Amino acid sequence: MEQELRKEARKLLEEGKVDHIIGFAPGSLKFSTTPLITKEKEEVASLVINRFMVNNLAKFLTEIPGRVGIVAKGCDGRSIVSLIQDNQVVRENVVIIGVPCSGLIDIAKVEKLVGKDRDEIDDIALQGEKVTVTVDGKRKDFPAKEVFFEHCLGCEFSTPQEHDTLIGERVAAVGHEELNRKRIKELKDMAPKQRWAFWKEQFTRCIRCYACRQVCPACFCERCFVEESQPQWVSPVPKWQDNLVFQVIRNIHVAGRCTDCGECERVCPQNIPLRSLSKEMSDLVDEMFHYKAGTDKNAPSLMTAYEHAEAEDLFR
Amino acid sequence: MTTKKKISKKDIGKLLGIWSQWFSVLVPSKEENVAKMVGWDGKDVSFLVWYRNTVVPPKANFLPPVEKMFSFQQNRHGYHVEVPQDEQKRLIFGIRPCDARGITMIDKVFVETYEDCYYLSKRKNTVLIGLSCTNPYDSCFCTSLGVKPTESADVDLMFTDIGDEFLIEEVTDKGKELLASAGMVKEATKADDAKAKTVQATVSGMVIRKVDTKDIARKLQACFSDRDYWEKVAAKCISCGVCTFLCPTCFCFDICDELVKKQGARYRGWDSCSFRLYTKMPMENPREEKWRRVRQKVCHKYQFYPMNFDVAACTGCGRCIRLCPVNWDVTQILSSLPASVTSRGDK
Repeated sequence: MEQELRKEARKLLEEGKVDHIIGFAPGSLKFSTTPLITKEKEEVASLVINRFMVNNLAKFLTEIPGRVGIVAKGCDGRSIVSLIQDNQVVRENVVIIGVPCSGLIDIAKVEKLVGKDRDEIDDIALQGEKVTVTVDGKRKDFPAKEVFFEHCLGCEFSTPQEHDTLIGERVAAVGHEELNRKRIKELKDMAPKQRWAFWKEQFTRCIRCYACRQVCPACFCERCFVEESQPQWVSPVPKWQDNLVFQVIRNIHVAGRCTDCGECERVCPQNIPLRSLSKEMSDLVDEMFHYKAGTDKNAPSLMTAYEHAEAEDLFR
Repeated sequence: MTTKKKISKKDIGKLLGIWSQWFSVLVPSKEENVAKMVGWDGKDVSFLVWYRNTVVPPKANFLPPVEKMFSFQQNRHGYHVEVPQDEQKRLIFGIRPCDARGITMIDKVFVETYEDCYYLSKRKNTVLIGLSCTNPYDSCFCTSLGVKPTESADVDLMFTDIGDEFLIEEVTDKGKELLASAGMVKEATKADDAKAKTVQATVSGMVIRKVDTKDIARKLQACFSDRDYWEKVAAKCISCGVCTFLCPTCFCFDICDELVKKQGARYRGWDSCSFRLYTKMPMENPREEKWRRVRQKVCHKYQFYPMNFDVAACTGCGRCIRLCPVNWDVTQILSSLPASVTSRGDK
């Protein structure tokens, strides 16, 4: 599959169909990848397809000029479509190289299962429903669903719907309704006071590094509301109340744009379970407006569309 | 040569207990798997088993993510200002050599160049007890920056794991005093010292990531205006604050006032040169483009700091590599600097 991808990427560059290729190359840490953004045809030889291609590459589309060939998993594909709907990306300028993905391995989960850090693990091998982790020469088996990202367990579009070419066969999502919403259910089962205490604790850790916002393809604002000073909506220093307000408003801003790629939660250096907010928001959007972000490039973007019939009395 | 001491690992709790009488003792602790230095609960010494390094560097204990500088209240005569006094005596147990070196680096600006009263009060009231590394990460590259994983230069006492015991090096007089009333601390033998030397040699060899930092400031100067190079290496950076906020030597902060009904406070919090608005001025922004910000981050650490202080503002702790959302790896950048400007120049 990788060979096919490299050939395709090289061809696109050689034929002048794109100016840049965005894909994944091997990372400098064990079990990692890194975004590869290049216009050199020699460099596409390092493109990879594996279970660790975590980034949502759609993020880079808005900043790379010209025509771009982009490797897209299901969630990246939805984010690209969402950006097209919001007029941030022109469809004709993008060649979507679809890569079916039946789930990515969450290295943090593997670390927790074996009680070792990433660099102390020798091997992680996925075979069907089973994953074998080798530490100090000893092999241990776990059910695959225990090492996938939670958002992968809730993935509905494992093969990007919108694509120009598809590398490999279409695959089914790993889908696990219960595990994918496990933490959200735990939160919903809490009494409001307890839930408030939980989030207070979580947002006390937030250091406002903005990794969640910066990694998110749906956060494409030229200037984020947190950076406004007149008026100042949120304090720029990390006090928990302001941290929480920042995240709540960010979630409202990405409602109808969030494709549940889970990147915000993965990159948080303070391990704040941000997907519990964004996934719940996506579910609410689906429930209230029957809308799934990035699934129809011709549909108007949810938050920019107004239908008389759906308006509340206040707006009618 | 100073005499060395030792202590049995199972007595660490007792020792911390003694120190707790005089100090607020901080140790590595995890919350939601995020390790940082926090107040010791009086019992738990499990960090002796799991601790490799903290996610949040101990610089946060000196320059916290958010800090009140003063509060103010308007009255008939103008404003009444009150500066919070923090004279708490603290002891940080278990700081790694790279992070202790980070504090020394910050001293160069916050103590030696300026006198930052908030930083100073914490700094002079804090004792640093170092713990040698025995299990560096594959992302660590301290040895390339002249920091040994067992380096004792930046702490008051240095503990090195020699099996069932720790060898203790008394680095400062302050450190020496701390051991005077601790009955469980014994004189170390020559054999203990030999064991520690073996550990020191072994662990240094375990730091596998290497960067050639010789002449690095000059090399950076040579390619400073190579726009194509910087654009290329900056392409995948997402301009978040992870690498700078969690760097043991980065110290930039922003200041904001809060005023509600004639009273309020001035706060300061971490800021980052990765942020686009960091250099925003009324008329222009000299680092509007991402590649300029990435270049600034690299050059500040490895070119400007050496020019000003004769030492790079990096201790090779590897956090920026471990925690980066896109695996932007500074060691790869430092190893791939072009020898001279190869493309269109641009300052």
